[in-house]
Formats: sequence, structure tokens, C-alpha cells
Amino acid sequence: MTVINKEKCVGCKTCMKYCTVDAIHYLPEERKCYVDQSRCTECYVCVRQKVCPVGAIETVELDGFFKQFQHVMSDPVENHGVTGVTGRGTEEVKTNDVSGRVKKGFAGFSIDMGRPGLGVFLRDAEKVAMAMAEAGLVFEPPETTPLSALMTDMKTGKLDDACLDYHLLSVIIEGSCTLDKMSDVFRALQKVEKEIDTVFSVGLILRVDENGENPILSELDALGIPQPHRGKVNVGLGRPLSTL
Amino acid sequence: MTHSLHRSGDIESQKRDFNWFMYQTKGVNDKNIRDKALEFIATAEAWHSENWGDVKTGPLTQYSSEEIRKNISDKSRIRGVFTSKEQVIGFLKDIKAKDLGMSVVITGVLSEVLPACREAGVTPHSVNYSLGVWGNKSRLPDDDTLSITTMCGHHMIPPKFVEDVQKQVDNGKLTAEEGAKKLSNFCYCGIFNQIRCAEILNIVSEKKKRDAAGA
Repeated sequence: MTVINKEKCVGCKTCMKYCTVDAIHYLPEERKCYVDQSRCTECYVCVRQKVCPVGAIETVELDGFFKQFQHVMSDPVENHGVTGVTGRGTEEVKTNDVSGRVKKGFAGFSIDMGRPGLGVFLRDAEKVAMAMAEAGLVFEPPETTPLSALMTDMKTGKLDDACLDYHLLSVIIEGSCTLDKMSDVFRALQKVEKEIDTVFSVGLILRVDENGENPILSELDALGIPQPHRGKVNVGLGRPLSTL
Repeated sequence: MTHSLHRSGDIESQKRDFNWFMYQTKGVNDKNIRDKALEFIATAEAWHSENWGDVKTGPLTQYSSEEIRKNISDKSRIRGVFTSKEQVIGFLKDIKAKDLGMSVVITGVLSEVLPACREAGVTPHSVNYSLGVWGNKSRLPDDDTLSITTMCGHHMIPPKFVEDVQKQVDNGKLTAEEGAKKLSNFCYCGIFNQIRCAEILNIVSEKKKRDAAGA
């Protein structure tokens, strides 16, 4: 847990501009800064960058599984304990040429909850996950995506109640559905986006033809979703190559 | 982790912004990756990758090539930046010829990346498409700030720090290049495009000057 040692803090407010989610505040009556523990994501930017001129920012032990989960998801230097992957612990499209995780005939979704930069309470991640599950999304298992480890029901996307008030810099909801259900999942996202107090960035993962295209993208037009101009292209050089 | 996918800002500017990645697959080719990682780095350096790094050490803007190479382990993730399609083509051609068997990803504007793949003779396998930001966007920073913070997809770059650097550039206390380097050091992965960042800082500064002169 990240804290500001009041004995050392000189109230210069330097640290406030280095908080990724505005969780450091100033108490005028004490002339000290403090960390709002309900919003701090344990990203450790203020710690790693040594931003305090008097070394008042300190870490204390992260007590409990959810606190450690919060830190690992918010600090890309850490490896996720189960998936073994740095960042937010997922491989999504980046090794799809070898893993065959998203196959032909399927649409993969990677929903970056809290991104860009606002952070996410897990209660909002749960709302989005449950809406997508109801529309036909099947989540990646806990072995390959961290959020699933918090689910008490993999079919509905329900998270452990004890984790819902934790605030993370971001966490990814990952899963896939058959192409015939893709539009239903998008409609669920269009509905639930109005019910949350943060943002999410939407990634759609598809197998593509030799020109890097997939005609299913035309379905986005009917949904009022602009055609993508950016993409993360797996160029198929991994071996053994998955043909799934 | 989709930390390079959702960059924002002027499309023409994004067309000069590419990320390259080498990835190992858990349980398949994730052991003893060091020699292959060094081959990727050598190839990227041959094509003058403007920034690159390994999250386990940090970015080239902050650490020497030797320091980053020294710390490579099986947990490393090697990735970096190109600013032209020609670099991407050359890099892909050389990596394909080396046949290292590791997954390779290029992120960028599709109208640039897909033709680059064709010219390099590689066949895209799958694509993660960015479909933008959804939800309650009322608390997001302004577009100029976002175009910089989204270059570190893990969001290690605080918006208020961007505003602070921008002010220092506006006031002549920092050059845009110096400001961009300060910001790039917060992105441990090495995928922050400090060249594009300096361009954005300059554009914003110039606009403010024009607005002030016209006011």
C-alpha cells in the first residue's frame, strides 16, 4: 500500500502531479499531502519515479489477495502469478499465431476497463462482464486472463463481492463468441456503457485473410460503430503456426 | 495487454507511429529466449528504432542498450518504436529471413501497417482492432493530453505531469525534445514515441502562441 509519511512530508505538493489517477490530495489544515486509499491503484509510479524530494512516499505490505491483484494489474513491471505475463497479464492477439486462442469463426473481445487513464472499480468491470456474458461471450479461463480468477461464476461473469470496491488502473475483460453472436455482444456493450462511471477501450480480435482483412467488420456499420483505423497486427511469424 | 492499440490524436501523426513487438508463447517457446531477443534488438537497431526497451529494465530513452540487453530474461518483453513505414518493412523482411519462430506484432494505422506487411512478404494472421473509447468520457483529459498519455498504454504517464511539461515547453524552460524525453521515461516498456510527442508538444505550444497573439 502506498502512503505518505506525515513526519517527512513538507507539503510541497510535487507528488500530486505524478499521480496517474489523481489520488494524492493536500490537506491545508495540516499542510501535508495524503493518498486517498479508495482511489489509489497501487501503480507505484510515484514510488518508482522517486518523485518526492524528501522521500516521504513509502510502501507498506500489500495485505491480502485482492490488494496484491490490484497492484499487479496496475503496475506493468509485475508479472501476473498465474499467467506469468507482465503488463496486465494477458496474451490476447500477440501470440495468436501460435496459441490459436481466437480461432476462425470466432470474435475475440479485449475490453480495457478504465482505460484511458481513469481507472476502474471492479464493480464497473463486473457490470460490463456480466452484460457481455448474457449476450453470449465466453470468458477466457483464469489460466490465461487474470480477471477470470476473480469470477465466482464463469458463465455469468459475477465477481467475488469482496473485490468490488478495489480501484485498478485498468483490467481486461477477455473472451470470445461465435461470429453470429458478435453483434449481440456489441449491443450489450452499447447498453452497459451508459451504466458505468468510467471508460473502456474496445478491442475486437479476428482471424484475417492474407490481405489482413475480415468481412465481418462490415457488421459494425449497422451498429453505428465506426470502422477501425488502428490495429495490432500479428504477422504470422510465430512457430509452430496455428491454422485454427 | 493491449497497451499499444488505443493511441489517439491526429491520424496523420499516428501514421508516423508504429510499434514492433517480439512475443514468446507460454509453454511453447518461452524458455531460453535471450539469443532470440538479442537478434530482435539487433534488427531493430539496424533499422534505427527510435525507442525500445524491456519492461524489466526500462526504455532506451533512460537506459543504455547494453544495460537493457544485460538484464534480458525469459520474462522479458522486447518492443519498440518506428516512425516510418520503410523501417517496418525492412525490419519485417529481416526478421522473417532470420526465422526465429517468435510471434511478431506491428501496431499502427492499418492503412500503413497492412501495405507494409505485403511489401515485406509477411502474411497477417490475426488483428486486434481498436474500436475506440466507450463509457462515461466526461472525466477524460483534453485530446492533446490524451494523444500523449495514450502512447503509454499502461498509463504510467500522469495527465497532470503532461500539463506541467507542456507549460515548461510553452515558457521556454524545456525544449519539446527535452520534455518528450522526460515523459518517455515513465513508459517502462519503451513503446513511447518521443519523436511524435515532441511534435505534439510543439504544435500545442505554437497554437497557444497564435491564440495569444490573436486575442
